[in-house]
Amino acid sequence: MAIIEVKNLVKTYKIIEKEEGLIGYFKNLVKPKYKEFTAVNNVNFSIEKGELVGYIGENGAGKSTTIKMLTGLLTPTSGNVIVNGIIPNQKRIENNKNIGAVFGQKTQLWWDLPVIESFRLIKKMYKIPENEYRKNLKKFTELLDLEELLEKQVKNLSLGQKMRCEIAATFLHDPKIVYLDEPTIGLDVFVKEKIRKFIKDINREKKTTVILTTHDLKDIEDVCDRIILLDKGQIIYDGEKQKFKDTYGRYVIAELIVNNIKDNIILNNAEILEQNDNKLKIKFSHDETTIVKIMDEISKFCNIEDIHMKEAELEDILKEIYKGVHTNVKNNDATSKNAI
Amino acid sequence: MLKTMMQLAKMQFNQYNIYKSNFYLFTLNRIVEVIVYIFVWQAIYSQTGNAGGFTLSQMVTYYILAIAFSSIATWGINETMAHSIRTGQINKELLNPLTYFQYYFGMNLGELAFAVVIGIATFIICAIFWELALPVSFLNFILCIFIIILGIPITFFIQMIVGTIGFYTNSIWGMQIFRKAVIQIFSGIVAPISLFPLWFQELSKFLPFKELIYTPINIWLGQVDYSEILFVIIKQIIWGAVLYIIAKKFFNHAIKNITTNGG
Repeated sequence: MAIIEVKNLVKTYKIIEKEEGLIGYFKNLVKPKYKEFTAVNNVNFSIEKGELVGYIGENGAGKSTTIKMLTGLLTPTSGNVIVNGIIPNQKRIENNKNIGAVFGQKTQLWWDLPVIESFRLIKKMYKIPENEYRKNLKKFTELLDLEELLEKQVKNLSLGQKMRCEIAATFLHDPKIVYLDEPTIGLDVFVKEKIRKFIKDINREKKTTVILTTHDLKDIEDVCDRIILLDKGQIIYDGEKQKFKDTYGRYVIAELIVNNIKDNIILNNAEILEQNDNKLKIKFSHDETTIVKIMDEISKFCNIEDIHMKEAELEDILKEIYKGVHTNVKNNDATSKNAI
Repeated sequence: MLKTMMQLAKMQFNQYNIYKSNFYLFTLNRIVEVIVYIFVWQAIYSQTGNAGGFTLSQMVTYYILAIAFSSIATWGINETMAHSIRTGQINKELLNPLTYFQYYFGMNLGELAFAVVIGIATFIICAIFWELALPVSFLNFILCIFIIILGIPITFFIQMIVGTIGFYTNSIWGMQIFRKAVIQIFSGIVAPISLFPLWFQELSKFLPFKELIYTPINIWLGQVDYSEILFVIIKQIIWGAVLYIIAKKFFNHAIKNITTNGG
């Protein structure tokens, strides 16, 4: 039995259509015109206990709306959400006991008080047994390096310190499911790494289900096993991260330092992305050619001094998908779903 | 649940107490208020000799107690709540494993605890400078405190109603001033109810505000029959229940609005 089950989920907002000018303003007051906007359009997925899922998409793709429906903060227009056997928007308090959530910059820590006070409140709210609380606190303090922060007032912490405390607060009551909405926004590399490692460690040890939405794809690359890709309210990919990369990222990007360019360089089976005085950036697929063949070709036009290659990363692939290069993504997904 | 509320109350209390100057300034403020009221009434008594059935020393006691109790009657969490709605912090608070009302009631208790501390400090300092009438009996003292405690849910639910308005308007500042003004006039902080016109006295008999200040002080001074105290207790319980239903309905309606329209 899946811990999260989402079926035919739809969320439509009514927005008041604003008209220009003073007359428009009064018209709106008397008889507002509504426009419908579908933020989430027939979304289906199910998530098993202990999965690390990256829920990704552009701004406005419907990620946060989905998360809000999963937590019970929003009522779906149609469709079903079942989390841990409960319909969240009907039994919100019941559902809240099983979940933890980080929403970007909003905090559950009390601004004027030492961090530990907020932790104590969480302990009492969730009725965490004393020994459990101590054990978790000790462990989190080690993993997230909180030792010196606990007695400090929240307002005196830096963004990174605050987020480390926030993450610890979210996991303190051993939630079954954790929703992380942009947990690493605005943080430096070290803090990001610490948080990612923490999420992975806790997931391994406690089988916590984690749903992560982020714009930093390094987070996904590092933490998640599965990705759900959302575009304009619809899922366009749902499956293993590795498979996603294998399917859409079967190409390599090579940067070459060259000199004595004789002619306009024309290559078969490879695409030139960038070219200036002595630098050349190309993209090719392993299916079609090899690096040796390409170097052969290039050396007809110039001397190669150095070469640097990198595999396609999630970020490159997603950029292409957003740009509409892989128009077949949607269709592929539809067929794979049918297969299941 | 109780433990959670005590922790919430403690935190809200500490949030005030972190700025020690808060305590001194609020207390000083109250004492200045007492001084102003007492000077005004001393001037009036030197002209008339009697007002509203109070002697001057009773009137002095009345104002010292009224100002000491006033923070309990007028303070609360509606500003915190409106702020939380405005900034979207409410989304986070709705994910707590206890209801929004329970969460805010806990915080409200902390706020009132601070009001009590200021009230006691005001009372003690004033008692040094003016001669105060003591409670007529121990029973009256207990009843006075009991009536004040009965007022706590009432002011809390009013706070929640005013706070909920924050869902519909950007600022509840105006509503908050209005709420404060209503309580100040109808509770008898501005002047004892017995000095107001008859219609006003009749009206305030059925409103719950008189019992926040005026009635407890009169119980302290021994000017209320026990049968009337019984009536007052029943009245306050009914008001508490009615306001609870209104506040809850209003809040749920507002919440439904954001859960279907996304805030």
